[in-house]
Amino acid sequence: MAKLKKIKISDYFCYIMVAAVMLVSFVVAQTGNLPRSYSNLLVQIAYSIILAVSLNLVVGFLGELSLGHAGFMCVGAYVGSYIAMQLAEVIDNKLIVLLLSMIIGGLLAAFFGFLVGLPALRLKGDYLAIVTLAFGEIVRTIFKNMSVFGKAMGLSTQAIKYDTRKDTSLYLVSFITVLVVLFFVQNLIRSKHGRAITAIRDNEIAAKAMGINVTFYKLFVFVIAAFFAGMAGVIYGHYTTPVLYSFFSYNYSIEILVMVVLGGMASINGSIIAAALITFVNFQLQSHLSGDQAALKYLIYALILIVLVIFNNAPKLAPIKDKFSPKTLLVKAKGHRHPGEIRSDTGDWRVIPSKIKMDEVLSVDLQQNTEFTPDKPQKGGK
Amino acid sequence: MSTIFDGLSLGAIYALIALGYTMVYGIAKMLNFAHGDIIMVGAYAILTTLAAGGHIGLALVVAVVTCVIFGIVIEKVAYKPLRGASPLAVLITAIGVSYFLQSIAQIIFGAKAQTVTVATFGTVSIGTAEISISSIITLIVGAVIMAGLTLFVKNTRTGRAMLAVSEDRGAAQLMGINVNRIIMITFAIGSALAACASIFYLMQIPSTEPTLGSMPGIKAFTAAVIGGIGSIPGAMIGGVLLGVIEKICLSIPVLAPYTTAVEFAMLILILLVRPIGLLGKKRREKV
Amino acid sequence: MKKFSKIIALLLCLSMVAGFAACGGTEDPTQPATDAISDGNADDALTDGNAADDDDNADAAFDFSEVGQYTADNTEYFIGATGPLTGDTSSYGISVQQGAQLAVDEINAAGGLNGVLFKFDMKDDKSTAADASTGYDALYEAGMQISIGSVTSGSCESFASRADEDGVFFITPSASAASVIEASDYAFRVCFGDPDQGILAAEELSANFENIGAIYDNSDPYSTGIYDAFKAKMAELNVSYIEQSFDAENNRDFSTQIEALKDCDAIFLPIYYTEAGLIAKTCVSKGCDALLFGCDGLDGVAGQIDETVTNTIKYITPFDVNSEDELVVDFVAAYTDKYGVAPDQFAADGYDAIYAIYNAMLKAGVDNVTVAPEVLGDAVVAAITAEDFVLKGLTGEMTWDTTGACTKVPVIVTLGE
Repeated sequence: MAKLKKIKISDYFCYIMVAAVMLVSFVVAQTGNLPRSYSNLLVQIAYSIILAVSLNLVVGFLGELSLGHAGFMCVGAYVGSYIAMQLAEVIDNKLIVLLLSMIIGGLLAAFFGFLVGLPALRLKGDYLAIVTLAFGEIVRTIFKNMSVFGKAMGLSTQAIKYDTRKDTSLYLVSFITVLVVLFFVQNLIRSKHGRAITAIRDNEIAAKAMGINVTFYKLFVFVIAAFFAGMAGVIYGHYTTPVLYSFFSYNYSIEILVMVVLGGMASINGSIIAAALITFVNFQLQSHLSGDQAALKYLIYALILIVLVIFNNAPKLAPIKDKFSPKTLLVKAKGHRHPGEIRSDTGDWRVIPSKIKMDEVLSVDLQQNTEFTPDKPQKGGK
Repeated sequence: MSTIFDGLSLGAIYALIALGYTMVYGIAKMLNFAHGDIIMVGAYAILTTLAAGGHIGLALVVAVVTCVIFGIVIEKVAYKPLRGASPLAVLITAIGVSYFLQSIAQIIFGAKAQTVTVATFGTVSIGTAEISISSIITLIVGAVIMAGLTLFVKNTRTGRAMLAVSEDRGAAQLMGINVNRIIMITFAIGSALAACASIFYLMQIPSTEPTLGSMPGIKAFTAAVIGGIGSIPGAMIGGVLLGVIEKICLSIPVLAPYTTAVEFAMLILILLVRPIGLLGKKRREKV
Repeated sequence: MKKFSKIIALLLCLSMVAGFAACGGTEDPTQPATDAISDGNADDALTDGNAADDDDNADAAFDFSEVGQYTADNTEYFIGATGPLTGDTSSYGISVQQGAQLAVDEINAAGGLNGVLFKFDMKDDKSTAADASTGYDALYEAGMQISIGSVTSGSCESFASRADEDGVFFITPSASAASVIEASDYAFRVCFGDPDQGILAAEELSANFENIGAIYDNSDPYSTGIYDAFKAKMAELNVSYIEQSFDAENNRDFSTQIEALKDCDAIFLPIYYTEAGLIAKTCVSKGCDALLFGCDGLDGVAGQIDETVTNTIKYITPFDVNSEDELVVDFVAAYTDKYGVAPDQFAADGYDAIYAIYNAMLKAGVDNVTVAPEVLGDAVVAAITAEDFVLKGLTGEMTWDTTGACTKVPVIVTLGE
């Protein structure tokens, strides 16, 4: 803590990562060597990242399980694309149409986010999860039956769709949107509002007692997350035609949730990497397993999912992973680090110490230079 | 009138599935998204037995045994390593298991729907309405299973151990209860219930396909939440209520296309009035 | 089951699209080496503006030596497709895939196109638009030259919008929505269009029955497409009927709908065979003896019902699995032998789509395996819309016009009368 404001690369890692991908692909595209499938994959990755990061706000930072994120995307995709098609007749510039419709689609989705946020004030955990799932299905059913949106045939967005052969700029727009979203989310989380949100997650009653306006923050997070998901939906509408209700089923909501969980709760960088990885794996599986082998696709996907989640989360594997993690190896190479040493990341917004860890930190401070073994919690003894 | 009876028999199926859901949730504290796919496994077990010339009774036994084995193996492989980890991680593996079972079924049995004739019963007239006997059987069996489960949980050693585990896992362990064994038994019972549900499902909807389980799974989840997750009579009431509402909606032409929306809207309304479901237990939050 | 699947094949004296040119010989698709074209009127054979004046200098109009961006390494003609191979609708996609693969194998066994073999690949699109375009990209960059599009309407529209950009010709086996062939000049189809079937059904039913009911699937473009046309035609004919709907994603129990339609003489079912089988069985348990009348999606229903079903089932279809036609008999035998199940409408359409492509390429005189997709696309469009191009396939004699719609004569198949 030598300087008051120390710039840490890890805080800006996500921007660097996203910008680098964008730049590299832009350069490759300029030389004419970027295959269309990759520029389309980039768009998919971009809207997946937006969805995963915004869902992480709800699940990871606010701590409420939401299974209806695809519902917000559905609102954005249908309404945003519809508005874009109306705007396209008046405004000639495609980019302005896209941006305007993204804002309008996002706002409408945000309104629905507000509606879903209301029950969130009263419900908890799995009850809230089913309400969000129900919301997603209700939205889908309603759009499916509206003749303005093409009923079961879906909303044809041919008029506004980016012709990916002549115009590959959609991925650029999408990635810039990703950067904007990241900028907003990162700064929100590091602000006092962000700390209020994580406080609600950790202990709602305590947060209330501290004078945090729980109602406001819960609604706020749902609205913001819905807004971003709506924007992702508008990008989706510009990327493919038709916008079809069947895409936005709870299965897709769960896929977004998988990205968040695999990337790590409350980890923005993790969400980005997981979203890109899962989209890429799906893309590869789809491209390579065709015809008779297509049934293997889900089999492989399921196995990857189960193995990864167990590897990441199994309590019994934790000591083994700890032993071989790069951090431990680094410490080993440097020599033993004193447990009482004040690390620069103590008290950091990303490291939210659990109760047990707090005990550890406190007890270490009290008894320096002595052998320290924190009380291991009994199995399931929380 | 007959709409209500149709709803009752559909609801009885939802209730049977929801019973399994709610048992597993109440004790293992996890949303078992693969529960619907266990029904699919049961349906294919019945199909295979019947195709091999087996009797319907034999088919039921085979289905129960297969489902129980599947349930236990899934629990051991996919859920047990995650005991103590975040419930979300378990949710994700449950989804993985669900995908896994569906693709295995597609690889073995093909994607095409296969028709299964379990048994044909006639109909009886009550007043002006005609009711199929199979739906009456479904309702009765559902009620019997519900009563049996309630008695089991209240009066047997294992049942009370289950209650203890669901109340406080750590404390139960301290009292000498083998938590892992209890959870395994819960999964076995839940899967056996799913096997029973699959036979009644096939009586009503005589066709099976790899994705058969996902829709009833979600409906049963909804039913369990309406009744209050973890409550056995609640699951029964929730299932029946959901079935009746679905059928009433379908019988009104204007509402029919919006049936799913109405069902879920009802769920949201019920939860807004009673955030813990109809018969859910209220827990006081400790500060 | 077989005992009561008796067929009355009525030749309906109206064809789906006006202007059915009955001239020209037909050819047996199982013998691919023979020419598909009759010696028709060579001078006005082709309607397309790009097309050559006659068959002899067709080669001259299209430069088949032009190599595409991704096709330089092709050693076989690459036919691509996307369809649902996993998920709720996967049985339809798999049927098309198997039927098409069977046709490709047959053509290859007979020596391919002038000695050059064909390759067929179908990517999974789970019936979603996004996956169909991803699948398209993967295929195009793997060297796809020509295609049979997508299986379901929604994803095929997405496929068509991509194919239109590249000038890739496709002929979809089963995407029947009108918007599919409107989306691209290179889009053709083998199946009937949705509205045509709805109108035909409305005419049939209103002429023969008093109390009519209809059940449609509001979640499915195919079903709503036919039903909307049916509804409009019934309104025009001023015939009233009872309407019921369901949502195949969420409801598989049809007791309410059948209860409401119990007293009808005939029930119109513009849906697929899986649900129709369930409806037929529900009719039994509800004691409803109405005639069930459907469209080509009902083909395959025989495999979904058993001897308890006593209702008569009729459907408009160009393909009948029990037909005595030699082509169909051979196809059914080969398909059952290879895949262990009887083929359905989707498999037959997939099979015909491949032969349509093959014969059109034969007529266009394609002679370069690395030909660019856009060149091939123009040539095949010209060939397939030629007035003397007639394909005798499993689903009847087919001709195509520049809209991409297929003209063929429907038959009505009756089960259990």
